[in-house]
Amino acid sequence: MSVNTTSQKLSSDVLVIGGGIQGASTAYHLAQRGVSVTVLEKDTVSRHASGVNAGGVRLLGRNIAEVELSKAAMQRWQQLDDELDADTGFRRRSLINIAADENDLDSLRSREQQMHSLGYFHEVMLDKRELLERLPHVADHCVGGVVSEQDGYAIPFHSTQAFRIAAERLGACFCEGELVEQIRKVGDSWLVDTKTQQYQAEHLVNCAGAWGDLISVMIGDNVPMSYSAPMLMITARMPHFAGPVVGAVSRPLSFKQFENGTVLIGGGAKGFADRANNTTRLDYSLMANGARNAIEFFPIMKTACINRMWSGLEAYMPDNLPVLGKSMRAEKAYHAFAFSAHGFQLGPVIGEVMADLITQGETRFDLEPLRVNRYERKTL
Amino acid sequence: MTEFFTPGSSDSSAEESSSISYDIAIIGAGPAGMSAAITASRASVSVVVLDDKPRSGGQIYRNVDASPLPDAEVLGPDYIKGAELTTRFRRCNAHHIRGVTVWHVGDNGEILFSDNGTTKRLTARQIIVATGAMERPFPIPGWHLPGVMSAGSAQVMLKSDGLVRDEAIFAGTGPLLYLIVAQYLRLGGKVKALIDTTPKQNYLHSMTELSGAMRAPGMLIKGVGLLNEIRKSGTKIVSFAEDLKILGEEQAEGLSYTRGGKEYSLPASHIFLHQGVIPNLNMTQALGLEHDWCKQQLCWKPKLNRWGQSSKSHIAVAGDSGGIIGADSAAAMGRIVALNQLVNLGVISALEGESEAADDLTFVASQQRFRRFIDRLYRPLDQQRIPESPGTVVCRCEERTVADLKKGFELGGREPNQLKSQTRCGMGPCQGRMCGHTVSELLANWRNQPVADVGYYRLRSPMRLVTLAELSQFTDVTPKAKKTEEVN
Repeated sequence: MSVNTTSQKLSSDVLVIGGGIQGASTAYHLAQRGVSVTVLEKDTVSRHASGVNAGGVRLLGRNIAEVELSKAAMQRWQQLDDELDADTGFRRRSLINIAADENDLDSLRSREQQMHSLGYFHEVMLDKRELLERLPHVADHCVGGVVSEQDGYAIPFHSTQAFRIAAERLGACFCEGELVEQIRKVGDSWLVDTKTQQYQAEHLVNCAGAWGDLISVMIGDNVPMSYSAPMLMITARMPHFAGPVVGAVSRPLSFKQFENGTVLIGGGAKGFADRANNTTRLDYSLMANGARNAIEFFPIMKTACINRMWSGLEAYMPDNLPVLGKSMRAEKAYHAFAFSAHGFQLGPVIGEVMADLITQGETRFDLEPLRVNRYERKTL
Repeated sequence: MTEFFTPGSSDSSAEESSSISYDIAIIGAGPAGMSAAITASRASVSVVVLDDKPRSGGQIYRNVDASPLPDAEVLGPDYIKGAELTTRFRRCNAHHIRGVTVWHVGDNGEILFSDNGTTKRLTARQIIVATGAMERPFPIPGWHLPGVMSAGSAQVMLKSDGLVRDEAIFAGTGPLLYLIVAQYLRLGGKVKALIDTTPKQNYLHSMTELSGAMRAPGMLIKGVGLLNEIRKSGTKIVSFAEDLKILGEEQAEGLSYTRGGKEYSLPASHIFLHQGVIPNLNMTQALGLEHDWCKQQLCWKPKLNRWGQSSKSHIAVAGDSGGIIGADSAAAMGRIVALNQLVNLGVISALEGESEAADDLTFVASQQRFRRFIDRLYRPLDQQRIPESPGTVVCRCEERTVADLKKGFELGGREPNQLKSQTRCGMGPCQGRMCGHTVSELLANWRNQPVADVGYYRLRSPMRLVTLAELSQFTDVTPKAKKTEEVN
């Protein structure tokens, strides 16, 4: 761990707000380029979505606006442990989305056509026999699916900590328990006040996740962001029955079995988020639906024992795409938040994008569809 | 067997039949839960009691009306007197749902439980948590090996199945340990040795609290009497033992200890450990109630006012789950919290509540002096709560040792939840019951800060394992009609 003086903490080239995976990755990429960076986290690093998400490292089924980013991130994941000298728990397992009926197959066919026409060939359709070969325990009624071979999972808390520790090794500062109360631009400097300190920096990055809209407004950009509490449950250890990560084309089903035999079940059902109090409440009837779905697709899961259920606070944009790029209203301010429950996989590349924007003024990716003001009315 | 209300059966109360919610739900049918139910069950109040055992009584009065022993009197008068309470409880108006596992209690009054393979849900306006105590974990080298059990489990085998393990070693400290050994001996069991770890200085320190204890001389004499009884039986008693270690690699083969700086060992294939009890925290923690670290009892307990009301006004905690007070005080607290909730519901006035609870409130306060003495005398050794040896297992579910946790601490796991994410300690099916206190105290030690600043795990439902099949079938239970006659 590097030794940082107080003055270095309080005054840096870049101030990142939010100690989730995006903030930690941004700090890492900046520190790598010799930029001094301080991260302010209101709770503890990876306390929220970045520490408690399902850990899906997914390229399959990405919105077209995200495919390039996701592909670049996927390449990084394959050797991220070596790069960060850490154990993120990443395992390449492939991800299969199951088609339950002909309608599902139709959607898969049109998606395939679209992807091929754009020159993307990483999603490959499976027929019933191929599906059964890869997932022998899948229910009889399933008719096929689609697979992405590079996909897998990682351990979210460990991954976020890995970026943090690598960033700290390179000189970045992480300040926990620092809730931002006010942001001002004075001359060329951003002045950020917490309860006890004032931080100063030339550049400001908003990686505040489910609190991103609040920081965005302080910077000057309004966004129609909402937040919610996607729910997860994990089983006690059970015999191995699924190698690949599993999803479904049109049902709220998603699960992965880890090496220790536990099965993490998601599916997107949302509980109730109480952002002001850092807490969430689970909706058990929706959890029951999730359980029914899992059993319907994988009857072997009937006797699986649920060990824990939880949910984290997630930020969503109306189009389920993140806000990514420069502020529209302020110079030297940048956004990377509202990843709408699929930001974890993008972590390695988001830090790179932010570092590019700050040190070079541009990025190789097209961020137009993700700009912060995309919902502002053009005409009255 | 669980029985349910017959829908549409004769019901005089219109208010009750239209309600989908119970007025009061009580979790646990030990002394506190049963007393609360008896007091709360009045004509206009719908009360439901949920318990995980097929028979009421809790741990202390387990099977008191259906003992497998030819003469249950050998278990002592404190056990037998439970029969009177369970009888009154059986006759009261509360809806008693037995043999079910409550796996979620929400502060919104939602209660979910497993009943014969399905999930049932009910809601209640007021909740009383009376989930009792559990034995304090005993993290010494080898405590996770097969053959090592808690003395409480030895007692469960005794009360439920009349089962005795001969030539076992009992080790640790506390009145319950002596009681269980005495019960063993009365049933003709052979005890290899009682290794008592109560340190000499505890006897000295506790003397300052003795004047308080003298106000409850009956209880004091009881403790001394048990030790005398054990001594008279010829059972080997070793006092002031330290540095306990379980011997054996795959299976317990014996116990080693030091006394006066000399090391001894005794072979045995069954070793029962006990060093007092602590509140069963999982439900009160999962409910998000505020908790304090109690220096007197060296445990976390929910913050309660003298009426047993928690930091959430509609949730009360009664009995040992709110801090260890013993069966008699637990029964009194059960009545007190029930009266308070009747006041909250507007069934009785605050004045009526005060006057009805007066005697119990006085009794509970008077018992606290005796409790201070007991807590001081049987204060468990630091070395038996805060393991130092790197190889000692802390989290039994995920098999995490002191060394694993130390490494996680150095990687940034400075509070229990970060440490849990870092190392998986506390992620297993016991939900941290067996490691939570150890982790709080270990971190406090490593950080050189008070335990109160370190905190405890954030807990989530389910409080017990639930199968996907159980969860997928979901039905509601409502107070539709008056309780039907219970069949024994």
